[in-house]
Amino acid sequence: MNRDIVVIGGGIAGIQSSLDLAEMGFKVYLVEKLPSIGGKMAQLDKTFPTNDCAI
Amino acid sequence: MRIGVFICDCGSNIAGHLDCAAVTEYGSNLPGVVYAKENLYTCSEAGIVEIQKGIKDHNLNRVVVASCSPRTHQPLFQSSCAAAGLNPYLFEMVNIRDQCSWVHMQERDRATEKAKDLVRMGVSKAAFLEPQDDIEASLIPRVLVIGAGVAGLSAAETMADMGLEVVLVEKEAEPGGLLNDLYRLSPYGENSSERIGEIIKAVSSKPNVTLYTGSRVEDIGGYIWDVDITVRQGGGETVKEKVGCVVVATGAVPLTPEGLYGYNGRDVITQMELEERLLKGEVEAKGIVMIQCAGARSPEREYCSRICCQTAVKNARLLREQSPETRVHILYRDMQMYGTENEQMLWDARGEGVRFDVFLPDRPPEVGEGKVRFYQPLTGERVEIPCELTVLSTPLVPREDSASLSQLLRVPVDQNGFFLEAHAKLRPLDFATDGIFVCGSARYPANVEEARSQGLGVSSRIATILFKEKLVTSAIVAEIDPATCVGCMGCMEMCPYGAIDYLPEEGVCRVNRILCKGCGCCASTCPSQSAMLKGFKPNQLLAQIRAV
Amino acid sequence: MLDVGRHPNIELMAYSEVDKVEGEAGAFKVTVRRKARYVDEDRCTGCGACAEKCPTVVSDAFNEGLGQRRAVYSWFAQGIPSTHTIDADHCRQLNGKKCGICKKVCQADAIDFEQQDRFIDIDAGAIIVASGYDVFDASRIPEYQYRQIPNVITAIEFERLLSASGPTSGHLHRPSDLAVEEEIKGLEKKAAKALKMLGKFEKKYEKGSEEFYLEYRDGKYEGDEDRRKWAEKYEAYLAVSGPLEEMKKEAEAFDVAKRLAFVQCVGSRDFRFYPFCSGYCCMHSIKEAIIANEHEPETTSVIFGMDIRAVGKGFEEYKIRGGNQSGISYIRGRVAEIVEGPGHNPVVVYEDTRERKVMEQAFDMVILATACAPSRDVEGLAEILGIEINRFGFFQTGTSQPLDTTRPGIFTCGCAHGPMDIPESVAQASGAAARAAQILTDSRMRKAS
Repeated sequence: MNRDIVVIGGGIAGIQSSLDLAEMGFKVYLVEKLPSIGGKMAQLDKTFPTNDCAI
Repeated sequence: MRIGVFICDCGSNIAGHLDCAAVTEYGSNLPGVVYAKENLYTCSEAGIVEIQKGIKDHNLNRVVVASCSPRTHQPLFQSSCAAAGLNPYLFEMVNIRDQCSWVHMQERDRATEKAKDLVRMGVSKAAFLEPQDDIEASLIPRVLVIGAGVAGLSAAETMADMGLEVVLVEKEAEPGGLLNDLYRLSPYGENSSERIGEIIKAVSSKPNVTLYTGSRVEDIGGYIWDVDITVRQGGGETVKEKVGCVVVATGAVPLTPEGLYGYNGRDVITQMELEERLLKGEVEAKGIVMIQCAGARSPEREYCSRICCQTAVKNARLLREQSPETRVHILYRDMQMYGTENEQMLWDARGEGVRFDVFLPDRPPEVGEGKVRFYQPLTGERVEIPCELTVLSTPLVPREDSASLSQLLRVPVDQNGFFLEAHAKLRPLDFATDGIFVCGSARYPANVEEARSQGLGVSSRIATILFKEKLVTSAIVAEIDPATCVGCMGCMEMCPYGAIDYLPEEGVCRVNRILCKGCGCCASTCPSQSAMLKGFKPNQLLAQIRAV
Repeated sequence: MLDVGRHPNIELMAYSEVDKVEGEAGAFKVTVRRKARYVDEDRCTGCGACAEKCPTVVSDAFNEGLGQRRAVYSWFAQGIPSTHTIDADHCRQLNGKKCGICKKVCQADAIDFEQQDRFIDIDAGAIIVASGYDVFDASRIPEYQYRQIPNVITAIEFERLLSASGPTSGHLHRPSDLAVEEEIKGLEKKAAKALKMLGKFEKKYEKGSEEFYLEYRDGKYEGDEDRRKWAEKYEAYLAVSGPLEEMKKEAEAFDVAKRLAFVQCVGSRDFRFYPFCSGYCCMHSIKEAIIANEHEPETTSVIFGMDIRAVGKGFEEYKIRGGNQSGISYIRGRVAEIVEGPGHNPVVVYEDTRERKVMEQAFDMVILATACAPSRDVEGLAEILGIEINRFGFFQTGTSQPLDTTRPGIFTCGCAHGPMDIPESVAQASGAAARAAQILTDSRMRKAS
């Protein structure tokens, strides 16, 4: 059985999945179609309800 | 003292706006500096090699890099120093990009002077740096889950499969939580007890889950990663367990709306009571009015309880499915049918003949004998609906004992009494305190799917810690000198991580270095300078400040 | 994001797509297409010298087309990786023209015009698909005239206008005003060029152009070819300077947008497009209205929605705070139509259900809360992965395991699974990670690797 994991999408969900798995000790391949990760959330100015910076 | 200084051009980001060669020349003449080098990109492979070569060739015992932000690059430089045999805590970083070249783009000469000042400050502090060792702690791969509802059971099931041992404590005689009392589940109408039965069965079959029903967590001691817990069982006997992490999955309860809309538990009941009657097949009323936000979104309880609208619509449809001549009328303020399936359920209910009407919070419906009256803003008229049963959709409210549990665990609750996570957006399942997690309606009302997803999520958060052989954390933590501490406990109040204890016998405060995050709040509060943050001690900071 | 970039267990494959998936849970073979960036990822330091010098200006997709970037670019300033990318559709060199400036200025020698797409095979035990969503194209709703009326914009565009790192540095300039200012800049350039040319004639003939032109019109210089050219240049200048002055006068009155309308359910809860509720848009609008009010305290906002769905922790409280402290009012109802009024002010036509009247109200700017649409390539991706999509266009999941797709070993989370807010996405993302770890952990062994 292979223990590596492919995560498709580098938005907030893909980032969180990847970080959790990587911290558990799994090797993660994070595949993002755009030039950088961050997804929609990177385009946000601030987030509610705490109004702090997005990502 | 043998300090090496590395000045980064960052391509043109720094060198384009100030004279890096001049800063390097200046740095080489500072006290203690034996070597200074300018790099095009200090973070590139060539730049890293330069640092490591510098450490070896010049026998450096301190390294200062003047470049970009420590947030992005300090870990790289520190590990590079360590690889060359220099203790990584003998590294100091100076930000001459974000804090200099980028803010003074049109003032080359003055930016150069400021960069020299910053480098001088960094070098002055570097001379006082002390070598440190990372902190290591052993981890116990065993988890306490408080509450065996859908969230807690899901967490237990998943963690058990991941090879962790689970201690699951449920105060009721049976596991299952609220799902035991529900009829069918939205949006697909599955049988609630069958659904929870499957999960209970799965958990029961795991050899590495110990389930204590009819039991409560009575005491929690030790510290996180090494927690001693005492469970009091139904019979009165106590059991002691040792765990590494704790999950709060205590759920919530539907509000009993005493004094609201003539609530009497007979012909004015709650959705929860309706579920129980549906379960027993005891609903005979042919005219039913449901009133949403009963006891919620009001001045005394501001929050929206998220799941009551979907519950109401689900039950309205079930009532009409059971006996199609039943008239169901839902009075609402906003139908909170977020997402795909919920909204679809609303469309379907409308199509099937469930009536929906808006009421205004300042003119709430009146429940009378055999009827409900309300003001219909759409027509501007008062409307009367004859009915035999009025169902109040009441919010989920925190359990009575959540306040005492929050004190026991030293984790916060919000203004509504729900457990307060570390970050509303980015860390919904973590507490600010390490090693304690929250899922399901203990955090905020959640439906079955959400509670299950969160239970799974918590398993992942815990595995990120307990899958490791041991815990290694930064040595940059606070320490309190017991010789000078007067035990005023000012630091304890300031500490956001609950990392400081008061030792009554010694009359002093003590930092738990495993919990400490090195924020420095205690050090800045301490009136006797007993609390100090490693790497940011007064002599180090003063050296830096005096160099300005 | 940073943590991803430097985590030793994460191999980040940006600018890449999954091309093929074979095998089964525990033994998938995933083929990833690493698209050619024409920039060597190992060498590029992200310094940006190439983008500074690149002569080709392109509309910036990260800023929703409200700003511009170059043909060689970083997706956004803090992007991870910071590696730059050459946009092959616009790059002069890659389109057979002479250029190569970026290659000359790159001190890291990272530019590689010969780079090709590469295919990489990965053996994996599990797959998590978190491919997100697309913003609904509001121009599909004719009655809202998005793209017809310049000051009708989408919520994500508004987000870029609010952002300090966005195209207006966080000032709420109206798109119609921005367009005029852009035009002024263009005309000023033209006028300056024309004046320079006139200056040459003025020096040569030691006479002001205006004076000369009056004489010329009187027929004084008939047959003089050189002076005819002068007159032509002067006429061309007048053709520019007249409108320029007018525009400048108009621009003096420009102010930031202070009367805002937010229109909810644009493409959502609408059978023509998406029947579902996108879940986050109500709160998104409230947040944008609150931030706008923070930027400019005189700002007032009206949020038009059928229901205001503040269904998250602290959301209802936030909504009330917005109403009390940030000049937000809420009107129940779906906006019927948006038309353009005088001064490029969009006018919102709606039925006030409380007052039972059809009303019209003019605003400085209207923001459309666009639906969370299934991503455009969802069907292609579903086919590659061999998983099903549900009737709403998102990945189908089971009821007993809400994060499992229809193919064992493949899990989903976030908005690829359905519209949801950030905390739900994060919780699900951890949940999907747990499912992957669960199936890949040998229960007799605690450690994952």
